[in-house]
Amino acid sequence: MNALHTRVAVSALIIVALCAAQGLAQGTAQGTAQGTAQGSYTIKPLPPGGPTPRLADGHPDFTGQWFPNGAGQGVSGRYGVDPAAIPQFDRKATPEEPPQFRPEALAKIKSMTATELELSKSSVNCMPRGVPAIWLQNPYTTFIVHKPGLFAQLYEVLNNWRLVHTDGRPLPKNPEPFFHGNSTTRWEGDTLVVESIGFDERTYIMPNGWYHSDELKVTERYTRPSMNYLIVEITVDDPKVLLKPWKSAPRRWTLGNGEIYEFYCTNNLELEELEKLRQQELKK
Amino acid sequence: MKSPKRFGAAVLACGALAIAAPASAHHSFAAEWDSTKCRDFTGTLRKLDWQNPHPYFFVDVKENGKVEQWSFQAYSPVTLRRNGTDRQVFLDNIDKDVWIRGCLSKTGKPNAAAAGTLKFSDGVMRQVGQIQD
Repeated sequence: MNALHTRVAVSALIIVALCAAQGLAQGTAQGTAQGTAQGSYTIKPLPPGGPTPRLADGHPDFTGQWFPNGAGQGVSGRYGVDPAAIPQFDRKATPEEPPQFRPEALAKIKSMTATELELSKSSVNCMPRGVPAIWLQNPYTTFIVHKPGLFAQLYEVLNNWRLVHTDGRPLPKNPEPFFHGNSTTRWEGDTLVVESIGFDERTYIMPNGWYHSDELKVTERYTRPSMNYLIVEITVDDPKVLLKPWKSAPRRWTLGNGEIYEFYCTNNLELEELEKLRQQELKK
Repeated sequence: MKSPKRFGAAVLACGALAIAAPASAHHSFAAEWDSTKCRDFTGTLRKLDWQNPHPYFFVDVKENGKVEQWSFQAYSPVTLRRNGTDRQVFLDNIDKDVWIRGCLSKTGKPNAAAAGTLKFSDGVMRQVGQIQD
């Protein structure tokens, strides 16, 4: 081991020791605020739980309140969270390729100013995220109510909801553009496949300027490998924007305690401030 | 003096690991708030406006013998509820002392800041918004 390796190893040990000490201190200091017990990490990855629950017809039952992390509870702004409990997927085990944009689409995205990009985000402008963004860029919970013939998704953010009929109805020939699209479903084994077309063009796939066209087709694949885990995999096909379809990593959602809160966006003061900044940008 | 810098870097690394960052999908703090203009505030909590997408709380800030009312933006009510700093915690501290670490608006909006952390009289450090400095 050379001197550099030694220094790196010693530094790593120091960091680990400090982290352990800090974790203990935070576990104690945050007891009142976070309702947590003492310990290095008080919020840990949720284990898989029992077997997959099933509907009367034998298909997996996706019913439950789902968190977009590995903890089965909120993690934002909380102390003592095991880093392993935060991400929805392992970037090394299941890497997610970046979208391959058509040159004109990339140029359009790059032409957006910082403030324009910010104003385009659903989290800023209070517009519905839409499909597939609601499954790709949503830090809040989703409550699914599932029964034969119906797959209802109640999104906490902005009190949005979506009813997906699983009764075999086909896609419409002339779909009305909806934020959540128009859907048809099928089962492939224990995977529920939802295909959707006809989307409102005001939504973005990701909060990085990735817009979509009227030719957007979204395929969602839902599985529930165990009681506590919901896996959602998204494919985005949009030949006017992408050179090839984009496929997400299998993103894991974890089962919560059922509490979902009201979230009507009634006091959005940020638009006014961002509009001031946009006007300043235009003057430059 | 390299050691203190290394120690500081190690502590920062721990902080990054131990405090769960807001979900990446959330909007950008830096677009609206100036991370180079963050400071401490002390004063008395006077009022709470608990609405979405962000609650605002109002504090009489005492500085240089003067008292000025400031507004502070926080995380969404849902996030605050889940991290243990819910509406009732604020209401229980109306007309009581509060310490806040926050950052100023990029537009120069007077007496407005985004709160990152705060402490009420119980001394518990609470994260109520994105921490940028």
